[in-house]
Amino acid sequence: MLALLFILFAGMAIGCALAVVAQRNPLYSAISLIGVFISLACLYVTLAAPFIAAVQVIVYAGAIMVLVVFVIMLLNIEQEEHRRTRLKFLVPVAIGLSAVLIAEVAFILVTVQEFRVNQSATTSDVGLTHSIGASLFTRYLLPFEITSILLLMAIVGAMTLARRGGLLSSGARVVPGASVFPMSMVNPNAEPDDLRPVEADTTDEAARLLGVTRIRDYSDRD
Amino acid sequence: MEPQLSWYLALSAILFTIGVTGVIIKRNVIAMFMCIEMMLNAVNLTFVAFASFFQDVTGQLFVFIVMTVAAAEAAVGLGIIIAIFRNRESLDVDDASILKL
Repeated sequence: MLALLFILFAGMAIGCALAVVAQRNPLYSAISLIGVFISLACLYVTLAAPFIAAVQVIVYAGAIMVLVVFVIMLLNIEQEEHRRTRLKFLVPVAIGLSAVLIAEVAFILVTVQEFRVNQSATTSDVGLTHSIGASLFTRYLLPFEITSILLLMAIVGAMTLARRGGLLSSGARVVPGASVFPMSMVNPNAEPDDLRPVEADTTDEAARLLGVTRIRDYSDRD
Repeated sequence: MEPQLSWYLALSAILFTIGVTGVIIKRNVIAMFMCIEMMLNAVNLTFVAFASFFQDVTGQLFVFIVMTVAAAEAAVGLGIIIAIFRNRESLDVDDASILKL
């Protein structure tokens, strides 16, 4: 029975994993990857690890994949374009490395001795939440705290990366609507402390007043 | 017939191999990122399999920590991807061949 379940979920996992690599559209890859995660969570249940299975579904298939799909949608990427020739040699490299790894799998399956499970473990609480929590807060407290620091660093890093820079890039859009600039900013011949207001009603007008060359036009994107 | 430990190790190796192949073949940054996540999951499967077969909770704790690292990696990695896309208008890794945003 367990063997049947293993074969079912392992087949699902391998099929979805192949689909992740084979799909050209990243969104379809992401959905296949969710299939991999779900079938792995089912395998965790058959391995008597219900907590890890739940966390797998919640964190991986839930949070991380939502983030990935969100970015895919946000960037609005279409399918991969035609393959350029420069990196063509990587395909045989990948196939060769995969062959080596598959050979290792065959080696494991053929030669490694089967590990005998002592089946006195019917009352085992290894995978249950309370045993994991007890170990996490006693013996493995240091990795737990380091993990919290890592998450803090990830928050700060993600914010720093995603924030727009303070400088106005050449393609940047001046905020639409009525903008008011001091005369000293608009007219290079004005006195430096000339703060008489100059009003611009449109983006183009503001850009022209400020001397910003709008290299790229984003108006067709939204 | 019960599933043996070596079955899980073999499945994990196969998933890891598929992930490696994807990282080498794919040129879309997000697709490579997803293949890396798949490799992390393959390693998680070995941890859980060993934890279950040796009746030791340590393996599952490592899976927990690997998941945290994967979440942090997802946040920072997708931030980098968005920053690269904003500057280069492309997600092709060949276009981002210098370590400069």
